Amino acid sequence: MKLFEYVRRGAWPEVVGYGLFVTLLAAGYYYNITFVQLGLIDLGTRLVGLPATTVSAWMGALALVTFAAAVGFGILMDRRGWSRELRTKLRALFAVLCVQFVLTMAAPHVRDPAAFGAWIVAASVSMGVGFPVTFSLTIDFVPVRDRGYVAAAATAVAYFAGNVYPLEWSIGAFSRVMAVAMVPGLVVLGALALRDLGFVDAVADNHREFGVGRFCRPDTVQLRSFAFLGPLALMFGVFFVDSLGFLRIVETPALVRSAWQSPDFSVHLLIGAVHVVGAVAAGVLYTNFDRNWLFAWVFGLFALTHLLYTFDLRLASAVPGLAGGAPPLVNPIFYALTVSFYTTLNFALWPDLSTPATIGTHSAVGVGFAGFLSTFLSTAVALYFEHAEVTLISHLSLVNALALLLFVALGLSLYGRAVYRHARAGPVTTGRAERGAHDDAPGGEP
Amino acid sequence: MNPIELALSLVLAVLLIGAFGGEPATLQVVADGSHEFESAPDALVVAGGTATVPANESVDGSVYAVGGSLAVDGTVEGDVVQVGANVSVGSGGAVVGTLRVLAGDPTVADGASVERVERLEPTATDRSPVTALTVRLVQWLFVAALAAGFARRRPDLLDNVAAAATDHPIVSGVVGALTGATALALVVFMALTLVLIPVSLLGVLAGIVCVAYAYAVFGYLLGRRLPVDRPDLAAAAGSVLFVAALDLLGRVPLLGGTLQLALTAVGVGAVLVSYLGFSRFEPVELPA
Repeated sequence: MKLFEYVRRGAWPEVVGYGLFVTLLAAGYYYNITFVQLGLIDLGTRLVGLPATTVSAWMGALALVTFAAAVGFGILMDRRGWSRELRTKLRALFAVLCVQFVLTMAAPHVRDPAAFGAWIVAASVSMGVGFPVTFSLTIDFVPVRDRGYVAAAATAVAYFAGNVYPLEWSIGAFSRVMAVAMVPGLVVLGALALRDLGFVDAVADNHREFGVGRFCRPDTVQLRSFAFLGPLALMFGVFFVDSLGFLRIVETPALVRSAWQSPDFSVHLLIGAVHVVGAVAAGVLYTNFDRNWLFAWVFGLFALTHLLYTFDLRLASAVPGLAGGAPPLVNPIFYALTVSFYTTLNFALWPDLSTPATIGTHSAVGVGFAGFLSTFLSTAVALYFEHAEVTLISHLSLVNALALLLFVALGLSLYGRAVYRHARAGPVTTGRAERGAHDDAPGGEP
Repeated sequence: MNPIELALSLVLAVLLIGAFGGEPATLQVVADGSHEFESAPDALVVAGGTATVPANESVDGSVYAVGGSLAVDGTVEGDVVQVGANVSVGSGGAVVGTLRVLAGDPTVADGASVERVERLEPTATDRSPVTALTVRLVQWLFVAALAAGFARRRPDLLDNVAAAATDHPIVSGVVGALTGATALALVVFMALTLVLIPVSLLGVLAGIVCVAYAYAVFGYLLGRRLPVDRPDLAAAAGSVLFVAALDLLGRVPLLGGTLQLALTAVGVGAVLVSYLGFSRFEPVELPA
């Protein structure tokens, strides 16, 4: 790791940059997975008194507005050159944090549907601005070599904290935790953004060395190229599969109370630990293998996870007397492993498909389209399923089928590409055969 | 009762029925609650809850008790097979067939009639030191023969796997651990479908071969440091030393088992990332 080199050299601004980036990314993601995804459901259904389907529709709207705001601000960042200006990005992030702090404090007091809607629009815009800004900090703080491990660290911290604390999924609990966490963040980020600190100047030019992503060497990746659209489509599939499956699981008391909302703290600790293990494994794989291997692992693990869930449900439906039993913990454990895998991939992928001139747009389109638009669509599909009274087993079977299909399609497309490459290469000579064998080495680019 | 526990119990019951030559036309399962049986199908499986054959009642078929409790106060015309469940035969109860005990301790009251009791429960103490040593020797010889064979005919395969294990232990360990965990889950769930039991057994066999291959590679690495000129003999000797050392390691509480697992994960991962040794593993090149 390059981090150890910096520590040996005593390059402390760079070392601090690692810590700052992991903290910002982990805190931002923690805010997203707890306060926004879980807290809003509680706020909308319990405090505002809206039906669950209406709240789900608002969540879909949140995803759509966030996507639009992220893409708009990402493009603006690249066109104005803000993506290269660390201080400008820190100021933008400080502004986002200020808005989110106010929104966080106000959330538990929202009582009527109009205020709820306004709150969601404001939160969506602030999050939409926050995503490209946070992701573009990668080029200032994280060398290309270490991105897999740094992404793993952010994933591990966010999910471990998210599973261990708070245990109560209520907007009040989330609001208290976030408000307390945001105060030191506001102080530090405010100082960095508004004061003339040496730290910012020391790392301000790092984007010249760190800026060109792993997959942009030797040629830069264009937004409309297959090199960008391919991973974008795959990541869209990952988020869609996860969201569609988890939306139903989280609404099934028997499944969620035996895992993510278990009264037993050791279950939370176990799931948090599995997230850490999964993130570390994903970091190692991302650093040493081509990204497609990680995609294959993610789809394969999702397929296996939903296979486990549907197996239990089929067995329970075959023997109805068993339906009240506690579902096995192996299912959420595999789910946690998979989620850590794809989150690590998501954190590292978009900066690695970008340069300092494109990171605003690429990370906004990547996170916005793959992350938020897919969530919007899966929410819509889940609502339709609910309206059509699709059973739990049918719902999860469909998600399982989708994961399997994506897994097989990815495998076939990789194999097809290899066949196409060999076919274009013409008759095999000894030298070419040796080169071909090297190309297919597991660590190489397929 | 947990569905997975029930499924495992059912698999066990089906295997038992097959093992004891039963071909039942109908089968009934008790998974939960208390049930009394005055008559039963050809086979009754008690996987959970409590099943009772009341006094003065008779059950024609055999009863397989793999979980929960079975109380025989009446008559069972067939066999009773006990695997871990609680089985009691009351003072007025009778088992006309054989009471086969694979695991557990049945309670047979005075005055109960049991035609024959067969204890098939295997225990670790049953194995004499000579038998245990013989089994261990066969394992060592298998790994040694594998290492020697590869060292003589295809040392390049061992070199490639060894390079992955020594140059990239973390990558190999991660791949080995991940593959091991997911493959284990897959094999178990394939077995639960019953139809895929043969595929599941093949998977287990492939796993064993993979582990043996990994141990042979570690033996090969160890053999290179021994004062033996012939590479095949050195690999064989190294393998025996490695497996014996691994066995000794297992006797250290907690740490020993963890190290055993870690070494196995690294070895299996190295076998996989090097495509069974047919390719030299090279991580992707990243900017300095």
